[in-house]
Formats: sequence, C-alpha cells, structure tokens
Amino acid sequence: MNHIALKMLMGDRGKYLGIVMGLTFASLIMTQQPAIFLGLMSRSYSFISDVGLPDIWVMDAKVQFVDDIKPLQDTELYRVRGISGVDWAMPMYKGLLKARLVDGTFQTCNVVGLDDATLIGGPPVMMEGKLEDLRRSDGIIVDVDGARDKLGKPSPTPGGKRISLKVGDSVELNDHRAIVVGIAKVTRTFQSQSVVYTTYSRAKSYAPKERKLLSFVLVKAKPGQDLAELTRRIRATTGLAAYTRGEFISLTYEYFMHNTGIPINFGISVLLGFIVGAAIAGQTFYNCTLENLRQFGVLKAMGASNWVLLRMILLQAVLVGTIGYGLGVGLTALFGYSMRHSILAFKFPWQLLLFSGAGVSLICVFAALISILKVIRLEPAIVFKG
Amino acid sequence: MQVKYTLPILAVTGFLFASYTVVSSNKPIPVAPAIAPPASAPFKSFIAGAGIVEPKGRNIAIGTPLSGIVKTVAVKVGDKVNAGMPLFYLDDRDTHAELTVKLADLAKAKASANEALASLKDTQSLSDLAEAVTDRRAISSEELLRRRNALLINAAKLDSAKALVQQAEAALANTQTTLARLIVQAPIDCEVLQVNIRPGEFAQAGALNTPLLVLGNMDQLHVRVDIDENDAWRFDKNSKAVAFLRGNQHFKTDLILAYVEPYVIPKKSLTGDSTEQVDTRVLQALYSFDRKQLPVYVGQQMDVFIEAKDYPGNNGSPL
Repeated sequence: MNHIALKMLMGDRGKYLGIVMGLTFASLIMTQQPAIFLGLMSRSYSFISDVGLPDIWVMDAKVQFVDDIKPLQDTELYRVRGISGVDWAMPMYKGLLKARLVDGTFQTCNVVGLDDATLIGGPPVMMEGKLEDLRRSDGIIVDVDGARDKLGKPSPTPGGKRISLKVGDSVELNDHRAIVVGIAKVTRTFQSQSVVYTTYSRAKSYAPKERKLLSFVLVKAKPGQDLAELTRRIRATTGLAAYTRGEFISLTYEYFMHNTGIPINFGISVLLGFIVGAAIAGQTFYNCTLENLRQFGVLKAMGASNWVLLRMILLQAVLVGTIGYGLGVGLTALFGYSMRHSILAFKFPWQLLLFSGAGVSLICVFAALISILKVIRLEPAIVFKG
Repeated sequence: MQVKYTLPILAVTGFLFASYTVVSSNKPIPVAPAIAPPASAPFKSFIAGAGIVEPKGRNIAIGTPLSGIVKTVAVKVGDKVNAGMPLFYLDDRDTHAELTVKLADLAKAKASANEALASLKDTQSLSDLAEAVTDRRAISSEELLRRRNALLINAAKLDSAKALVQQAEAALANTQTTLARLIVQAPIDCEVLQVNIRPGEFAQAGALNTPLLVLGNMDQLHVRVDIDENDAWRFDKNSKAVAFLRGNQHFKTDLILAYVEPYVIPKKSLTGDSTEQVDTRVLQALYSFDRKQLPVYVGQQMDVFIEAKDYPGNNGSPL
C-alpha cells in the first residue's frame, strides 16, 4: 500500500516538486526570518553575555537596558564590596566617546573601562596582543570589526578599502592620545559601534568631566551563595538595582521587545511565510489527491478501509513535509554560513529547528486533513461514473 | 528515479548541515579571565574601603618663605635629611648687594658717631676752659652761655649718631635674616620623597598645588582608609582589618589601628571640574602595618577590608 501511495505522489513530477517547493519555501522563511530576528535580539545583550566572569551586575535603579547608562558615585563600589556574600566587586565604565581618526573624521565608539588591577570584564577573545598590555601607558584594545572598518585609516586610493588599525597605531579619544595595544574579537552589538577597551581610570580621563562616572559594578558571589538572595540583599542595602547576568539579559531583551518594532516586523514575515507556504503546499497537495481520487475509489471498492487510505495520505504528507523541512533548514543554514563574515545578524539555536519543524508539520496536517476529509467522504461508486 | 532519491538525500543533507550549524554556531563565548585574582575579604561581613599608603605624620609639602629663583637644590629624592639641613637655596645676589649697602651704612653711621664724639670733646674742652675761669669779668656771659649750649647740642648730636648706628645695625641684621630665609631647611629628620624644583626655576611662596619638595618620615608607614559615611556606623575601632596590595592579592598584611580622624571629610573625586560638587563624605581611619611584609611605596593604593557588623536585614536599608 505504501508503495502505491508513493507512486501516486511522485507520479506527477511537477506536482510533487510543487508541493516540496512550497514546503521548502515555508520552512526557509520560518527558519531564516526568526534566525535573523534572534540574531538581532541577541546583539542587544551581546555585551552582557560577553562579560562572563561576574555573576551580578549592579547599576542605578532606573537603568532600562544595557546601553542606558546612569552613572553611580565611585563610593558605591565600596558599599557593594562591603555586603556579605560578595566575593569581589569591580568597577566598569561604559560610555560613548568620540574618536578622531587620522583623516580627521569622527567616529563614536563604545568605550569600556575595566578595573585597573584585575582587568575584569575584558574581551572574550584576543586576536593580537594580550589583555595585560592595557597596563601600558595610553593603551587601548580595539575590536577587530571596528579596527578593520570604522576606526581604520583611509585608503590611499579613493574609494578603496580602509586600512585596518594595527597594534601601535594611535587614535585620538576625546582629545586624548590613545595607543592600540591589542585587537580583540567581540560579539557585535546592536548599534554596531566599534568597542574600545581600556582601564577604568584611563576611561575616566577620556570621558567628559562628570561627577559620576561609574556605570556598573560587577559582582562575583562567594561560592555557594544564592544569587537571588544576594541580589535582594544588594538592592536592600544600597538602593541600587542588582541583576544576575540572566536577569540583565532579559531586561535588555524585554526593552527591545517592547520598545522597538523589530518583533512585529519579523513576526509578520514569519506569519506570511507560514500562510503562503500553507496555501501553496496545501492547495497542490489537495489537487494531487483530487487527481488520484479515482485510484482511491478503486482501492476503496476493493475493500481497503478508510484507515488504510488515511495512512496512505499521511505517509505522503509526512514524506513531502520531511523533505521540504530538511531542504528549508538546510538552505537556511547555507544562508547563515555564507553570511558568517558579513554584518548580518544570524543566530540558529536548536529551538528554532523545533519551531520551523512544528510550523511545517502544521502545514502538512492542514493539507492532509482536507485531503483526508475528501477521501473518507468518497463513494467507491465514483470510479464507475463518467 | 532521480527525483525520487535526490530530493530525500538533499533533504537529509540539509537537515544534517542545519544541525551542524546549530551545534557549531552556538558554542559558549569564552570567558576572559581576570589578569590578577581580585582580593576578597577574609571576613563574613565587613566594610570595604580604599586605602592610600602615607608616611607616619603624613607628607610634608615644603614651602618657601620667600619667592625667588632657585639657585641650587641641595638634596635629591631618597636622601635622608636631619632637621635644619638646607634643602635648597634661592638666588641671593640682590640681598648680598643690599648687605654691602647696609654694611656701608653702618660704617658711615659709626663714623658719624665718632665725629659727633669728637665734636662733643671739642665743645667739652672749650666749655671746661670757660667754666675754669674764676673771674667772671674775664669772660662775657654771652660767650659762657654759647659754650654751654654748644656742649649740650653736641651731646644730643652724639646720642642721635649712636641711634643711627643702632638703626644701621638693625637694618644689617634684617638683611642677614632675609639672607638666611633664602636657604630652605628641613623641619624634622625625614626622607625626601619628591623634588619638584630644579635650579633656575621660580619657587613661589604660599600654598601650591604641586609642592616644591615632599618630605616624609618613612620609618613607619600608615594606610589611610576612606570609609563611606553610610558605613561609618558599622565601623568598630577594635575590629580586625586586612589590606591587600593592588595587582597581587598574595601581598596582604594585617593592620593595626593607629587612630581615627574624628572629622568626616568630603571625599575627593578628582574630576578636575572647577564647579565640582561634593555629596559624599568619608571617615578616615589610619592603620599601621609591618613594612617588611609588603613591598609597598608611599602613595600606593590598597584594598582594605575591616570586619564589621552586618546590615540588620532589609529593614536597615537607608532607602
């Protein structure tokens, strides 16, 4: 019976390809668009996830997301340090400063100041130089994307590619001299500004004169300390906001979810993919069944039960669904792979495989259902009509 | 036939590639390690503060009583000096010239005094002669009166000349004091920590942002710890305290409280802004420690932890 089902399906090559194409297209849209969406959203909190060492971030109570800096007084660091359950607490400066390049153009960069002694919160991967080199005078570490592109030197030929910043080059940060001592790889941020790492005290001297400059206090809990309990204690004693890394990530994520149009835009794309996929695949599949209605009638007349026919249609649906799904996710992965060095945001977690799988299954179930209804209602006598 | 197998194979390949992408692209981001392990407190509940190392009796910012060009600097950084030893000399040429003038003035005043004395003697002898005449008719009363008055006038002139000598001597002493003040001396036995002037530079009298010289007693060092005023109530003079050297937590030392400055001062946050506002104040506690335990320099920062009472739960929140 299964063989007959496959024969029916693949007998008309054009229709078969049509169904598979429709499902592939639906699966591609339902995987690729959410992947871009997730990639974009993960960039909103990539700065937090890049800083792996601390457990808890302490900041002003009114901070809404990671780039919403409301600086604290320097003494707050010592107040946080004095709370029991805190293993260590380190200052971090984060702010946007203007960098003046060799050719006189200005670029806004994200300057991150790390604790002078421990340099906690540094970039995850160093491509050139060492993190310790920040101790050298006027030293900064630049992220590789920024060094290649935004902070790079102008091309000698007009319209050519910019020359990448190298270790030893100098940049002017807010009228202060800064020397590149290392190139780091960081996860791209939402605004894609180039990231400049330096020490906390140097960042303070680069930053415009303000009374408060401490952006975050990074806290490591003592081993065995309950993080929720510690964040509650920090909040109660200092009046500041304290979030675990996960909480801070979801705070930032939620801000972008609620305050930007990104989720709606991508949601509509995914929905359109689903509807178009369902329409094409469902209609073609139904057509295919209609064409083979006579065969189904013969089978029914020969005594095949409804259950057998239902299994046949389900087999057809599962087959085209699986093929379409496999091709769709494969194409998505290929798309992500070919774009891996570009500026495109792309994140492909395993949940997304399940999501698009569920979407394709839904389309197949829908397509199979209308076909099944038709076949079950079929009178065997139809074969002998006309 | 081809379509029959190609599509499923392609689909399986696609799914496998997608799975591979999922696995390979979602590797956890490596964690950047701390360059130096951060210091962590050995107490359960504690006050944390920043400490700065200073000599006992604090640093002495040497000033000059007179402004002037520096002629020579007699000490260099690291020299041990005793009280009264000269530190630097200011240009004294004009004062020396003045001294010569004053010496000449004194000589002149002395000569005038001698002259006045001679005149006095002269009028004295003339007067004596007149007084010695027994017959009053031999000398007119006018002449007698004139000689007596001349004697009185010359005596007064001598007094005046002597006063001028005294004045010249005082002026000389004044110039000599000025000369002595052009040599700046060490006030106590101590070590030279910083020299900010060089011969030929102008040394300004008065309180300066950059002191001309910094001296300090290096025999015993203190750590000055800033404690936030919000934490000051938790501070106990008898509790234990530990200091860690920045950059290497293995250098640590127990601290012994020397004294607490009873006046809570505004915290200095050096933003360099002229309209800087101060809104937090700090209690300063001074601790002494064994110098041999740490390779520490004056002016270096330390992370200090002082054992203290815990916050009394949530109700103790100041906010």
